[in-house]
Amino acid sequence: MQSLYEYVDDREQKNAARAMALEDLLIKKGLITQDSIDTILEYFETKMGPFNGARIVARAWTDESFKQYLLQDTPGAIASMDFPTGVAGAEGEHMKAVANAPSDHNMIICTLCSCYPFPVLGLPPYWYKDPSFRSRAVREPRAVLKEFGVNLSSDVQVHLWDSSAQIRWFVVPEQPLGTEDWTEEELVKLVTPESMMGVAMVEKP
Amino acid sequence: MKLQHSLGGLENVGPVSTERNVFVCEWEKRIFGIHMAMMSLSNHLPDRPDNLEFDSEWTWADLRKGAEAMNPFEYFKYRYYEKWLGGISGFIISEGYITAEELEDRASEYLEGRPPAVTGQAGQEVDDQILKYMQFGDSPKSDVEKTPRFAEKDRVRIRDNHVTDHTKLPGHLRNKIGTVVDVSDGTYSYFQHTGPDGIGDAMPVYTVVFEQDELWGELGEPNTRVYADLFEAYLDTAE
Repeated sequence: MQSLYEYVDDREQKNAARAMALEDLLIKKGLITQDSIDTILEYFETKMGPFNGARIVARAWTDESFKQYLLQDTPGAIASMDFPTGVAGAEGEHMKAVANAPSDHNMIICTLCSCYPFPVLGLPPYWYKDPSFRSRAVREPRAVLKEFGVNLSSDVQVHLWDSSAQIRWFVVPEQPLGTEDWTEEELVKLVTPESMMGVAMVEKP
Repeated sequence: MKLQHSLGGLENVGPVSTERNVFVCEWEKRIFGIHMAMMSLSNHLPDRPDNLEFDSEWTWADLRKGAEAMNPFEYFKYRYYEKWLGGISGFIISEGYITAEELEDRASEYLEGRPPAVTGQAGQEVDDQILKYMQFGDSPKSDVEKTPRFAEKDRVRIRDNHVTDHTKLPGHLRNKIGTVVDVSDGTYSYFQHTGPDGIGDAMPVYTVVFEQDELWGELGEPNTRVYADLFEAYLDTAE
């Protein structure tokens, strides 16, 4: 048993060497091009990311009828915005939005793996994929939220959405008080990935 | 049974990580990209060019199956993308695209310095197919019509089917009673058949809500509800 937890000193160097070696061999054998991996990484930096989700949330805050549309028919509402092709792409084929309210707090989890709505939130932060979050959030969300610095009142209903089939959930956080007359463009800048996962509130700066 | 299927509710695992970075080491980006490329090029996808060198099926199910097949102690020992690195390298070797020796030799070259870049024959059709997958994805929604066995507000008991190597039923829901709150439109297949576990063919999917008392009793927190998306094969009537 003990030896299982002894880490070799050069673990990270070996991991890195192996990952780079694998990419090289896939290129050499003609499976991918020299640009394939960078193309994918760049796609997540520029096309699929929380910057899309932030625009959807800001629209929902400033347009109540859009918000209702988003909650009733998430793909339809997103398609009605002027996003480029791809916002319903990989891991966004069947997205659903849920909205926070003073009496309701939503949080997304994936207890079996790490399912996540790529087109609107990008890639999940490390903590979302870590077994400690996946084990604990589903049983003691309030305790977990405290570790993220969020203290929920005991009368707030917590809704945990576990992505265990085709649906990829995301949260429309509450609009911070005092921003009612802000423009959509200004509001976009306030929305964080964590707030769309339900582990943070959106704050007015 | 596999511990990996029953992480939900596991106690004494310490504080949650609050590491906000997606990748905690630079190399993790490379293995993530390799996985996405393989998913994009997988031979189960429709309208895929027929001249691709990668001619295997690779989906999320394969990646998940690899992680679920791990020794549970090692599962906790290795970081997320370390599990991917092991699973993906093993698959590429087992499919005969490369040998274990080639991988070790090339990795040794990196450990000793910075080897010269490699070139290959793959052309633009590969990167076009990757872009196509990123933009359009791979929806599991099926044309097969099936009348859903359950409706909204139905009380359902979660089955406890045997699992061989893979499941999409979280362990903490087995034998529990919940209420259907939504019936997904249409039917959905899964990437592969999971044997006695019961998914693969197109079937209805439900969003089922569970009260925390039902799942955790006194160990839960009040005012908490857990929702899960569950294939019909996992549900029975509660009566």
